[in-house]
Amino acid sequence: MNSIKMSRRTALSLPFGLAAMHGARAADTPRRGGTMVMIVHPEPSTLAHYAVSAGNIPPIATQIYEGLVTYDWDLNPQPNLAKSWQIAPDGKTITFKLQENVTFHNGKPFTSADVQFSFMEVLKKYHPTAPVILSEVYAVETPDPLTAVLRLNNPAPYIMKALAGRDLPIVCKAVFEGTDILNNPTANKPIGTGPFKFGQWDRGQAIRLDRNPNYWKPGLPYLDRIVARFIPDAATRSAAMETGEAHFAAYSAVNYADLARMKKNPILGETSKGYEMTPAISVLELNSKHPHLDKKEVRQAIAYAIDRKFIVDNVMYGYGVPATGPLSRKFAKAGFYTTDVRKFDVPDRLDIANKLLDSAGAPRGEGGVRFGLHLEVNSFGEQWLRQAEYLKQALAQIGIDVTLRSEDTATWLRRVYTNYDYDINEPFLSQGVDPVIGLNRQYLSSQIRKGVTFVNDSFYSNPEVDNLLLSAMREPDHDKRAAMYVKVQQILTEDCPLVWLVDVEYVSIYNKKLHDHTTGPLGTQQAFERTWMEA
Amino acid sequence: MRAGLSRFARNRLALLGAALLLCLLLTVILAPVAFPGDPFRLAGRPLQPPDASFPLGTDTLGRDVAAEVAYGARTSLVIGIGATLGAILFGVVIGGLAGFYRGTVEVVLMRLTEFFQTIPAFILAILIVAILSPSVTNEVIAIALVSWPAIARLVRGEFVALGGREFVLACAGLGAGDARIIFRHLLPNCLSQIIAVGSLLIGTSILIEAGLSFLGLGDPNVMSWGLVISAGRAVLRSAWWICTFPGIAILLTVLAINLAGDGLNEALNPRLRDR
Amino acid sequence: MRLIRYIGYRLLLAVPVILGIVVLNFFLIHLAPGDAASVLAGETGAATPEYMAQLRHKFGLDQPLSAQFLHYLLNMAHLDLGYSFRNDSPVAALIFDRLWPTALLMVTAFVIALALGILLGLIAATGRNTWRDGVISLVSLVAYATPGFWLGLMMIVVFAIRLEWLPTSGFDTVGAYNEGWAEVADVARHLVMPAVALALFYLALYARLMRATVLEQAGMDYVTTARAKGQTERKVMTGHVMKNALLPIVTMAGIQAGNLIGGSIVVETVFGWPGIGTLAFDALQSRDLNLLLGIFFISACLVVVINLVVDLVYVTLDPRIEI
Repeated sequence: MNSIKMSRRTALSLPFGLAAMHGARAADTPRRGGTMVMIVHPEPSTLAHYAVSAGNIPPIATQIYEGLVTYDWDLNPQPNLAKSWQIAPDGKTITFKLQENVTFHNGKPFTSADVQFSFMEVLKKYHPTAPVILSEVYAVETPDPLTAVLRLNNPAPYIMKALAGRDLPIVCKAVFEGTDILNNPTANKPIGTGPFKFGQWDRGQAIRLDRNPNYWKPGLPYLDRIVARFIPDAATRSAAMETGEAHFAAYSAVNYADLARMKKNPILGETSKGYEMTPAISVLELNSKHPHLDKKEVRQAIAYAIDRKFIVDNVMYGYGVPATGPLSRKFAKAGFYTTDVRKFDVPDRLDIANKLLDSAGAPRGEGGVRFGLHLEVNSFGEQWLRQAEYLKQALAQIGIDVTLRSEDTATWLRRVYTNYDYDINEPFLSQGVDPVIGLNRQYLSSQIRKGVTFVNDSFYSNPEVDNLLLSAMREPDHDKRAAMYVKVQQILTEDCPLVWLVDVEYVSIYNKKLHDHTTGPLGTQQAFERTWMEA
Repeated sequence: MRAGLSRFARNRLALLGAALLLCLLLTVILAPVAFPGDPFRLAGRPLQPPDASFPLGTDTLGRDVAAEVAYGARTSLVIGIGATLGAILFGVVIGGLAGFYRGTVEVVLMRLTEFFQTIPAFILAILIVAILSPSVTNEVIAIALVSWPAIARLVRGEFVALGGREFVLACAGLGAGDARIIFRHLLPNCLSQIIAVGSLLIGTSILIEAGLSFLGLGDPNVMSWGLVISAGRAVLRSAWWICTFPGIAILLTVLAINLAGDGLNEALNPRLRDR
Repeated sequence: MRLIRYIGYRLLLAVPVILGIVVLNFFLIHLAPGDAASVLAGETGAATPEYMAQLRHKFGLDQPLSAQFLHYLLNMAHLDLGYSFRNDSPVAALIFDRLWPTALLMVTAFVIALALGILLGLIAATGRNTWRDGVISLVSLVAYATPGFWLGLMMIVVFAIRLEWLPTSGFDTVGAYNEGWAEVADVARHLVMPAVALALFYLALYARLMRATVLEQAGMDYVTTARAKGQTERKVMTGHVMKNALLPIVTMAGIQAGNLIGGSIVVETVFGWPGIGTLAFDALQSRDLNLLLGIFFISACLVVVINLVVDLVYVTLDPRIEI
């Protein structure tokens, strides 16, 4: 990747094409003013975006904290707090030129010292996932207030995909320096450089963000206020959209089951754009310490037994596609994704599954049952119980008797990731902006880490895969890198440490009075600086 | 007792309740005959409105709502009756001991009862299910544990009141043992009260179970009305039948139990007699 | 003077009770498996082990239980409910934020339930075994038998979506930031459905209780005497029967006080009412133990205070009872 320079004018003009796409019906000139109500579910427990990365925080926090870059629809970085950047040929130095005349909400100017402090002192030390992204970065140098230089031990091509406010937010050094960062008083009164300032948090109800009149992009933002509203009940959330009480709902805030009805509502629109950098798949993790699950044939049989289309249609209400392997199809654009793998969705899949089980030495016994397994139900929402109920029926077809265990989040995570007291687990894995984030965590043998959630808990250990994943992480040549990931996908679908179910499709519902709400691949997880509302 | 029964028979609402209960019992008995196989079985196309083949429609996964409701009746009854028996057993022991022995025993036991009454009952039930992990047995334990204080207070009150009565004093004077006094004289005298309150408790237990399932804390391997409602809640407005029928089933069951319980109360409760 | 001494005495008695409750609660809550750090890490999607160790250290979860207990007792001694690390906020602030909406909802529901319940109970009792009695009994039993969440969902569909009379959920109109009477009216509109959904359940209880006790009282000797003395039926009812029939109602209200905080979880969830019930549920789900302990503590204090108030009401209603 060479240097990418782009004038601010081109950067700013990008999203207007999108406005035309959404509704030419409405007025085409943005209007200043108005309050946008968006539904965020569930209510975040904290706004400490620099230390907690739960998915419900960014829709609010990215209005306040900005990143060095944003991304265009082709997932290429575009200037934001960084005006331009230069990557050295050896890939070990990245130099950022910063935007001048940017101030934080507390009036302090934004400089390279803030970048240095944010990356090295906050994110690298306290963020749950940033330490992986920044693992190769050993220093951030600040030759002058508007230049920040990242020094790397090895090339880390994925860094350029993770510089948005969602993944690596820039905080104000003056606010955090010399304090206990995890107990900073601005955790829930965040101070950033973004288009909106934190206003007020009525716990259990809403968070109000106010327009930042001193925002560094002239004339922006258009909205006076953003209110993030929290409604615990799914049916009530849908109702709030339908009555026009709320204007925007992203991710699973609106129940998939209600979408068909909402599509018919003349005041509402829907879009599946804005999730291009949020790949996620639902999977089954199989505990290979179990006497039957330690056999590849048994694991493959389970993969064959499941009708993924049924799950997509009846559990996800059509919002997703059957997963083909360990990587989301959203990586196809970057060239990492392949369908040249063992295919489980074949017409005679049940016959294959039964034969595999017979050959694995698990014959049918009394009542046609071969053996029994426990399935741990994902506690993060109703649809996972539906999926588990379906899986129980599906596996009964091949003689596996499944018992469901549905516990609350704390108990579930403890049982699976600390006690390893499980047979099948049904997590939902977000895969990050680069394969390195989703794959390494799940399949590296070094990631068998007791007590850590969402890592390699199926005890998968294959030296070849370890080797490929670690090499791909440091490979600066894109094509070589892609070839490695293709190989990884082929090996994994053969070994079947996990069963990949659904490549998830998200959808946003919006009120048609609202314009320019989805202006880039990060969707709600980037600032609504250009969003505006009809009067 | 016989007079009580004939009084019960004259109460039209109580008879309605009894008739509804009979229907419920028939449902429980006939469910495996009418709907052979697993109620979780994917029987047809998902989200079919009620028609000839599926009189109550199908749910989001294509399961027969009629089968779900029929099998759910057993779970609701088992949990309702199980939890109530547990609560009565526990309440009678604690309340009885406190009311009979008085003194320190009473102070300690009634403080314990108060402790359970200060924790919000529903939250306590959720906490217990969370500690024990959701299953039918654990739901029964949780509901019994939050329901017994009312029985304990009732029994203690009755024991204290009866303890001073002449016939109990006379028994004690004649050298009857504690056990004999408790089982032969005190308990039978407050039995009707316990039956009356207990019958209402069954209804409350069923409602608590539905609430627990609604919040996703039910046993996922056993069909229950609460489970069906919580599953159908997502599609409440496009597929009204999934939530509506089990909701009506709960309503009718609790109503029937309360009507019959009221009838029992009026028939058995000596203080309401002959007015 | 005697009254004040009595209140002081009762409050003094309550101290060891509440202390015992605090201790029992602490150990009961710590029986729940899993911890706040793993929940937070779980929501985060992925977390490094260092991050989780950091969280556990921050939350004090790396300390032995006995040390955590001592720390908690020490805090309580200073009337400090502790800090909710998950919410980055003091527990007391979180609870008091939510106490007001819950109190508003519960008191409104109680007032509706009490007033209508007493009225309906009285009508039913005076017309015993007539059609009025039957209808009221049946209706109140149906109300009692209806699951609150189901009723709530049905009400939203009918009144908010089909008829558009009332807002679907929440405490006030989000983003409106009304002031003064406009805010009062706005909150009132939001209050209607949850209050009614909650009130129906209690209404049934009070109507049934009222009917039963009025009938019981009506059979008592003093009523016969009053009638014999030639007092009008109306005067007998209001002057004698009503007054005595209120005693069990007050008792019942006192018993319900324990449910003040937990009784509305389901209704709060359906209507997005920002109350203590949902706060407690979230706290339990996320193992925010300080917060949950704080809520249990406040709940215990409320029960003690309300029981005292009930006893005082008793005294004013029935002079025969001595304090």
